[in-house]
Amino acid sequence: MIGILERPGQTRTEGEGPVISMVDVGMTYPNGKMALIDLNVSIPSGDFVFLVGPSGAGKSTFIRLLIREQLATTGRVIVAGRDLARMRRSEVPALRRRIGIVFQDFRLLPAKTVFENVAFALEVTGTSRTEIRRRVPQLLSLVGLHEHDDHLPTQLSGGEQQRAAIARALVHDPSILIADEPTGNLDPVTSWEIIQLLIQINAMGTTVLMATHNQEIVNAMRRRVLALEQGTLVRDESGAAYEREY
Amino acid sequence: MRFVRFVAFAMVRAWQGFWRNAMMSLAATATVVLMLVLLSGLFIVIGGLDSGLTFIEGKVGVTARLRDGLTDAERQPLIAYVETLPGVRSVDYVSPEMAMERLREVYREQGQELNLGGASITLQASIEVALTDPKMGTSVSNALAERYEVSQITTKQVDYDKLLGIIGVIRTVGIAALVLVGLTVLFMIVNMIRIAVYSRSGEIEIMRLVGASDSFIRWPFILEGILCGLIGSVITIVLVAVIWDPIQPIMVSVFEMPTAVSSRFLAVLSAVLLGVGLSVGALGSWISVRSNLSSAT
Repeated sequence: MIGILERPGQTRTEGEGPVISMVDVGMTYPNGKMALIDLNVSIPSGDFVFLVGPSGAGKSTFIRLLIREQLATTGRVIVAGRDLARMRRSEVPALRRRIGIVFQDFRLLPAKTVFENVAFALEVTGTSRTEIRRRVPQLLSLVGLHEHDDHLPTQLSGGEQQRAAIARALVHDPSILIADEPTGNLDPVTSWEIIQLLIQINAMGTTVLMATHNQEIVNAMRRRVLALEQGTLVRDESGAAYEREY
Repeated sequence: MRFVRFVAFAMVRAWQGFWRNAMMSLAATATVVLMLVLLSGLFIVIGGLDSGLTFIEGKVGVTARLRDGLTDAERQPLIAYVETLPGVRSVDYVSPEMAMERLREVYREQGQELNLGGASITLQASIEVALTDPKMGTSVSNALAERYEVSQITTKQVDYDKLLGIIGVIRTVGIAALVLVGLTVLFMIVNMIRIAVYSRSGEIEIMRLVGASDSFIRWPFILEGILCGLIGSVITIVLVAVIWDPIQPIMVSVFEMPTAVSSRFLAVLSAVLLGVGLSVGALGSWISVRSNLSSAT
């Protein structure tokens, strides 16, 4: 399965530097609200990082900055070696192909089958039919949905829908996978299945950044935790729990 | 190959999008047809009147009847003087005998013979002045009116000016109506694309997140507007072609349109309709895409 996410001759590391780097990043909205304040974060390639914090702490803004949906008002955001503020508009699609993203609400297209949902992400980036026919089944096998490829999203369970969304996020073999509350709509057992899948993807070399409120998962996983409160990074700790333990 | 895939993708998506919001798309297409029918009507009427104008332009000249008993020595200086007037192309002398022969010819063309009942009449001699520009008719007439050799002046200047005025009014009113209908069409297409963008906002968001370029996101919508213009154009061209048979003889007989011009007219009109339809469709969808599909940061 490793071959699915790695192309021959390509390595997951983005040179010597971190795959995500934020230097003195601040984000103030036009209404004056400061969403992020002086953030300094460095995430090396292959890391698995939890982004935690209460609602309104700045997690969504953090993610929007990484996919260049918004630009930081101060500081530098560097993803895969590129300073996003200096990036031309025409370069943004290429950046986004290096970042896979999944959401709490899956965001699958309801009128398309599982296969079509995944294929759509390839089709809209000009991938050939031959490549689509080759790649989509591989991804569906990876997430365990190869027998459900002709199902509509409404015919799938929540966990299966999230798997389909993960398959779609992986179509361009991204070096970073951002998961925004991927277990928020799922029961505990299904949540763990999704986490196992994310661990598997991370083990293949993909950097995983997961925003979550799920204390049980964070506490059990003991991975690096970035904790935000009112736009400030209050904790950056490896092998940590959801709450501060000291 | 990638470009071909892009074109195929955009065209398929445009076609699907057109029929997904069928009611709105067909309403917008109907307004395109309305506009193009109006344009066709204006084009036909203006084309006919322009032909009539060209016909009259060729006939516009100044005819000066000469006093009876004018000698050759008196006539020659008059002709030489008229030839020096600005706007005069040529001056022809028509003797009384030639005038009588023309009159007989007119009767013959109507299938009759001129019958004077045995009387002997002599028509007036005249000079016929051909002009380089029909607008110069008034100044030439005025110059001739001052000459004692001339007894009466006739010209088609008034008819020409009247026709020119009518064409001007029709053209102004027609263009104003076209602009209004054109704006309505733009409004319809802009709204059609706006609704399409909103109804596909989920897909657009996914496309952005998975790294689709702006071309892949925007062109299907622009092509959808162009498709609306294309369908409207084709419908109008078919309509005009159907009614062209009864129109063509009118163009030839009423407006004196040359047959060669008349047979080319439908092809020119079709090209104009296609061009205008596609342009309006493209412009409307481009405006809508620019305002409703704000570019990703």
